[in-house]
Amino acid sequence: MKIDIHTHTKRCKSGDAYTREISPEAFCETILSTEVKVIAITNHNVFDLAQFETIQSRIGRDAQVWPGVELDVYDDVAKGHLLVITSPTLAAKFSVAVDGLTKGSTPDSFKVRIPDVLATFDAMEPLYVAHYKQKRPSLSDDLLSVLEAGAKNKWCVLKEVSNAISAGIHISHGRSSIYGSDVHDWAKYAEGAHELPDLRLPIDSFEHFCLLLKKDPTAINTVLDRKTSEDLALVPFNDGKTLTIKAFNDINVIFGPKGTGKSCILRAIAKHYSKNGIDATVFESASDRIDDIFDVKGKDLSINLNPLGINYCTDEIQSLRDAGEVDVTSISKFTAYFAAANTNRNAKKILLKEIDIQEEGDAKREFLEYNEAASTTEEFLDFVKLDPSVKKELAVDELKDLNRILSVLLERLNGKEWTGFAGWKEVALLNSAIKSFRKEVERKTGSPAKPTTTGFRDYAMNRIEIAVNASKIIKSANTKIPYQEENVGDLGSGKGQLKFVTEFIFQNGNVTDGGMLSLTSVKKTAQKKFINCIREVLAHVFVDDLFQHISELNGIEDVEAIKTAHELLLFKRYFTLDGMPYSPSSGESSMVMLQKELGTDKDVYILDEPERSLGNEYINDVIVPLIKERARSGKRVFISTHDANIAVRTLPYCSIYRCHGPTGYGTFIGNPFTNNLVNIGKADDLLDWKAISMRTLEGGKEAFGERGKIYGSA
Amino acid sequence: MEVLNATVDSIDEKYFIKIKVEGGDIIIPLSDDNANEVKSAFNKLIVRIRTGEFTIKLEKVGEDLFSMVANEYLAQLNREIHEVRSQMKEYGLVKS
Repeated sequence: MKIDIHTHTKRCKSGDAYTREISPEAFCETILSTEVKVIAITNHNVFDLAQFETIQSRIGRDAQVWPGVELDVYDDVAKGHLLVITSPTLAAKFSVAVDGLTKGSTPDSFKVRIPDVLATFDAMEPLYVAHYKQKRPSLSDDLLSVLEAGAKNKWCVLKEVSNAISAGIHISHGRSSIYGSDVHDWAKYAEGAHELPDLRLPIDSFEHFCLLLKKDPTAINTVLDRKTSEDLALVPFNDGKTLTIKAFNDINVIFGPKGTGKSCILRAIAKHYSKNGIDATVFESASDRIDDIFDVKGKDLSINLNPLGINYCTDEIQSLRDAGEVDVTSISKFTAYFAAANTNRNAKKILLKEIDIQEEGDAKREFLEYNEAASTTEEFLDFVKLDPSVKKELAVDELKDLNRILSVLLERLNGKEWTGFAGWKEVALLNSAIKSFRKEVERKTGSPAKPTTTGFRDYAMNRIEIAVNASKIIKSANTKIPYQEENVGDLGSGKGQLKFVTEFIFQNGNVTDGGMLSLTSVKKTAQKKFINCIREVLAHVFVDDLFQHISELNGIEDVEAIKTAHELLLFKRYFTLDGMPYSPSSGESSMVMLQKELGTDKDVYILDEPERSLGNEYINDVIVPLIKERARSGKRVFISTHDANIAVRTLPYCSIYRCHGPTGYGTFIGNPFTNNLVNIGKADDLLDWKAISMRTLEGGKEAFGERGKIYGSA
Repeated sequence: MEVLNATVDSIDEKYFIKIKVEGGDIIIPLSDDNANEVKSAFNKLIVRIRTGEFTIKLEKVGEDLFSMVANEYLAQLNREIHEVRSQMKEYGLVKS
């Protein structure tokens, strides 16, 4: 939620640029294209009620529009600009007041003294925003003193500075500061809107905003209560005492000097959530463990080959290992048959036994071909009949024609399928009968029967099967698996993205890279021997010594462990920068591990001193935005830190301060909005959140000094 | 379809079928029960099947025992060669 307390919609003074002028329609469209949800219209010495009302009714509930004016104020020695902004509920009254005050003047000629401003507007309890220092023309300290002395609500006097850095510096010096766009060209408004201040707490109205400026505890607590929170009862220390904290689905920071038990609290929080079945572990920066965290050695690495279309070859490998030679029909059976003089009269009458055996393959293949075509056609016909898209695309007649043609085709295919089946079974039955008769005649007469096969078919088919199996294994082993690359994180300072590469490769007999490791327990030597043996088997599949190679395959040490192509996999994992292998330094390792942790989708993030080994710039530019983004998504973020960049700039909903004094350890809980830290054991023991943060945190002063994007002084 | 000629030959009273194939004859013993020699011949036939379909024809069919054996043996072998060729085609193992 962004706020812009200083905009112009009209070209009032002669020096105003034409590009300051904007229609109510374009104004609403522009504002709604940004994240600005609160905007004040502050034209020079003019308030146009009609325009304000048009804008307000057009923008509706999508943004709050506040009425205001930018006045030229002066005293005897100086002059400057002062914004006066009131509640939209008082717009009409405000309009009358502005008209009355400026009556008889033009926007160029009008000027007013501070007492008159107070007399005209102060009863409306407005927000005064004075141009200050570098924001010209600025009010002098004397003019400001008069304003602050006369205003009923002192907390509603803010100083407008030129940008976020200036606002932060003034805030650190106790001056309530803010900045607005003071738009000069509406065409460029949207592109610069991201630089406007963020409201960390959502506000409902102008009055609500003023209460938050006042640091009204009720108003602040009402806003905080809207945020989802839960009370965590923790037992973080050995004394067994329960520490109850209100944890928000937002940023919760634990800070304090070293050795005050911050890590113990984090561990207790992790334990609390884990006990309730929520994934919660304490993230600790450990740059020396990056290889373990990314599992560079692949202890838990696995890969599923199916989605890659790679055959595991389980059956093929087993078949090859079990392969044996098929015997051929002894020639002597043929010679014995022809040599024997078959004298049995009855046997001679059985002519069926003299019929030659027929091969079944052709008939079977014909049947299978038609069977498959008929099944596919039938499925397609069903699809055409039922699919709504087909019905939508085809006219009734066209659909009828398609159904008719497919039905005719199916009928013909079914006919051929049955003819094929009959033909196949006819051959099979005849062959069976021939074999039975020959066997029976041989048994009854003692004369040898004519052999039914030379044995060539079975002999050849055995070798063909071996060839097919070996080819499939080699095909799998020759498949290239694409590199798997994941973004690890930004190394900052324009260095680029660190990536983590996992390279898988099959041992195909030619892999010699010593950096590749076996993915399974199978040794690399066994993998290499295995695949080389398979290649030899394939090369000798139609050679007399084929089974010597199969014996060699079975003789490989640990061959039993190779059951699938998966056991032939090798891998290598490494980091890259700009496509080249890269070893991240310890600081870089810390950076990317923290990014990885925050990049993982979790409900609870628990970070123990995430700033360790990291530079301020990196924390500020990369880590703080990531933490805020997680918080915006409603995640619970717990951070123990010594770093002000994190503890201050994230503006945590809950700040837990741990300290140690003469009376022992103490725990204070509060937030930057009330600027209080309350002793959990003694409600009237209060500490100043800002003072403690500045004193305790590393870089505290700088963090406050450079902080922008916050209203009021924390 | 290509026809490969075959003859029944004998040397020192040992009979065999000689199939004439480019690159070397294929010998199948008839009077000896030598399974390894038959297998070796079969391996050469498989290799030959890959290069194209063929049938083996006995040039001269005599009335003697070995001619009759050879004739029957080759009839069955031709039938099986055709079947094996079909299977090899299905697996994509033939060269043409």
